[in-house]
Amino acid sequence: MSVVQISGLKKYFDAVHAVDGVDLSIQQGEFLVILGPSGCGKTTLMRMIAGLEKPTAGSIHIDGADVTELPPRKRGVSMVFQSYALYPHMNVYNNIAFPLKAQRREKKFDKATMRGKVENIAKLLEIDELLDRRPRQLSGGQRQRVAIARAMVTQPAVLLLDEPLSNLDAKLRANARDELKDFQRSSNITAVFVTHDQIEAMGLGDRIVVMEKGKIQQIGTPQRIYDDPANEFVATFLGSPSMNILRAQGHRFGFRPEHFLPKTLHDNPANSVSFHYFVKRVEYLGSDRLVYGYVGGHENELTLAKVPSNVRVSLDIEGEYEFAVHHDNIKYFDEASGERVEAQVAGAAWR
Amino acid sequence: MNALGFVLTNFWALLVLAFLGLVGMRIVWRLRKYGATRRELRHVLRRSPFYFVVLVFCFFAAAPFLIMFLHTFKTDGDLYRRPQPFVYRQEPTLEHLDALFNNTAYLDFIRNSVLVGVAVVIITLLLSLPAAYALARLTGRWGERAGILMFLVYLVPPTLLFIPMFRIVVLLGLKDSPLSLIVVYPSFTVPFSMWLLQGFFKAVPPELEEAALVDGYNRVEAFLRVVLPLSLPGIISTVVFTFTLTLHEFIYGLVFIADTSQRTLSVGVPTELILGDVYFWQPLLAAALIIAIPVGLAYNLFLDSLVQGFTMGAVKG
Ligand SMILES: Nc1ncnc2c1ncn2[C@@H]1O[C@H](COP(=O)(O)OP(=O)(O)OP(=O)(O)O)[C@@H](O)[C@H]1O
Ligand SMILES: [Mg+2]
Repeated sequence: MSVVQISGLKKYFDAVHAVDGVDLSIQQGEFLVILGPSGCGKTTLMRMIAGLEKPTAGSIHIDGADVTELPPRKRGVSMVFQSYALYPHMNVYNNIAFPLKAQRREKKFDKATMRGKVENIAKLLEIDELLDRRPRQLSGGQRQRVAIARAMVTQPAVLLLDEPLSNLDAKLRANARDELKDFQRSSNITAVFVTHDQIEAMGLGDRIVVMEKGKIQQIGTPQRIYDDPANEFVATFLGSPSMNILRAQGHRFGFRPEHFLPKTLHDNPANSVSFHYFVKRVEYLGSDRLVYGYVGGHENELTLAKVPSNVRVSLDIEGEYEFAVHHDNIKYFDEASGERVEAQVAGAAWR
Repeated sequence: MNALGFVLTNFWALLVLAFLGLVGMRIVWRLRKYGATRRELRHVLRRSPFYFVVLVFCFFAAAPFLIMFLHTFKTDGDLYRRPQPFVYRQEPTLEHLDALFNNTAYLDFIRNSVLVGVAVVIITLLLSLPAAYALARLTGRWGERAGILMFLVYLVPPTLLFIPMFRIVVLLGLKDSPLSLIVVYPSFTVPFSMWLLQGFFKAVPPELEEAALVDGYNRVEAFLRVVLPLSLPGIISTVVFTFTLTLHEFIYGLVFIADTSQRTLSVGVPTELILGDVYFWQPLLAAALIIAIPVGLAYNLFLDSLVQGFTMGAVKG
C-alpha cells in the first residue's frame, strides 16, 4: 500500500526549475532514499512533502488524502532537518515533548502519558540520560538522535530526513547509518531520506530515487540502480571511481573499473570483449590497485581499471596489456539523449 | 546629616583613598595567589598608573551625576558664591529635596511619566512585534523597501509634527490629559522598535520555525513559542529604549498638556523649577538625578542585549 503518492509535482523559483515534474509513490514501511548531486531539488521535493513549500503544480496524497493545500501540521509527517533545528531554549525533554504538546490539545492524554512516550523514545535512541540538557550541551551525534526522537515521538505516517548524517564525522556516520536502519526496521516506519552521498544511499535504501535537475532519472533497488542504470547520468553518478565512458560510432558505451580486468582472469573469453590497455599510472589502495590508462582506439579518453590486490598480475607503467570486460557488464547509451539502449540497437559489433 | 556631611566634604580625600585601596587590594590578592615575591609587587606598582587612568575615566563618566548629587544638598549661599562644585563650604542641607517633594508636583510627574511610559511600551510591543516579524520574514524586495519606508517616518522630527498632532489630540478630546501622549508617542516608538526587533528576528533561523510548523503548530504559535523566547534580549532592549524615548520626549508633552498636575517629568520639571530666568538649581538637579538612577541601572543591567540590539541593526538591518 502506498503511503505517499506524488504526481506531476513541480516547483519553480522564477527561472529555476527546482523540481520539474516528479511522479513517485512511497510504500508503507519502506526506506526510500532520494539521491542526487547538490542543487538537484532533493530538499525542495522533501519540503513540498512536508508542506513547507507550496508546489507550482501537481499533487501530493498522504494515506489516500489530498494534502497538497494543507499546512504541515495537518499532514501527519515529521521531519529531521539537516541542521537538526533543535529548539535552543528548551531542554532535551521539552524538545522531544514539543510535538506531543501540540497533539495534546486535540487528543486528550495526560502528562504522565506524555512523559512515558518521551522516555520510551529516548530510551530507544539511548538519550534517556540527556533529558535535562540543553541542545548546545550535546555532541553532534546526540543532537541528531534528539532530532530523530522528536520526529518519531508522534508516530508519524512518514518520517522525512534531510541529510541528517552530513554533520557527523566519518566514523559516527557509519554508526549512525547502521542504527538508523535498525531503528527504521524495528519501528516499521516509512522513511524518506535525502542525501547526496551514494554510499549512504546504497547502504540505507530499500529503493533509491536518483534525481538530477529536478527530474527523476531512475527508481529502483540499490542493486538495480547500480547494475542496470537507466541512463548515462545514473551510470556515472553511482560508483567510485565512476564508470568509464567511451565514444563509438553513433553511441557511447561504458563499463565499471572493477569489471575491467586482465583477460586471463575471464574464464570464458567468448563472453567478453577485450581491449588493448596502455597503463599510465598505478595507485595502490590496499585492497585494490587503481590503474589509470587508455584503451586502443580511445587515446584521449581516460580509462580506469580497479584490480583486486590478490590478483597477482604485474602492471607496469607504460606497459601494454590485454584487458577484457564481460559482455553483460558493458552498457550502451544513446549518443544524443544518454538513455540506455540495447547492444543490438547500438550496433556494437565486437571482434 | 553629619555622616553625610562628612562624606560630602571630604570627597576628594575619598577619591584618593579609593585609588590607594584599589592598589592595595590588588597587592593583597596577588600576594595570596603567588606568594610574596618582589617581582609580583613590582608588577602591581607598574600597573598602578593603569588603575589611576581607569579611575579618572570613571570619574569623568560619573562627574555629571556626582555634581548633581553634591549640588542637591548645597545651600543657596554655597551654590552662588564663586562656584566650586566639589566642595562644601557651608553645612549641607536637605531643604531643597524637601521642597521638591512637598512644594512641587514632582510625584505627579513621576506617576504620569510611568503611566505614559508603561502604556506606550505595551502599545509599541503589540504593534511592532508582529510588524517586525513580518518585515524580517518578507525577504523579498518589497519587504525591505517597506521597512525603510517605515523607518523614514521615524526621522520626521516632532518639531514639524506637533501642530497637526495637536489638532488630532484636540479632536479626540484628549487635550490636557496624559492619554494624548499615549496616543501620539507610538508614532515614533513603533518605527524605532520595529527596526530594532527586525534584526533580532532575522537572527532566528527560519528552520526552527519550520520545525515548529511540522511539529504541529500554526504560524502564530510557532512565533509565540519559538521566535519570541529566542528574541528575548531584543524585546528587553525594545522595552528599555521605548521607555527612555517617552521619558525624555519634550515638545509633545509641552504642547498637549497645559495642566501642571497632568504633565510628565520631562516637561513638568523644567516648567515648575525654572521661573523666567530664575533656575532653582538644587531641586532641578535632584529631580533629574532621581530619574536618571533607575534608568542608568536598567541600561547597565541589560547592557549586553542593548549592545547586541544596536550591532544587529547595524549589520543585518
Ligand atoms: N527559496 C528558494 N528561492 C530560489 N531558489 C531556490 C530556493 N530554494 C531552492 N532554490 C533552488 O532550487 C534548486 C534546488 O535546490 P534544493 O535545495 O532542492 O537542492 P538540493 O538537491 O537539496 O541540494 P543540496 O544537496 O545542496 O542540499 C537550486 O538550484 C536552488 O538554488
Ligand atoms: Mg538540500
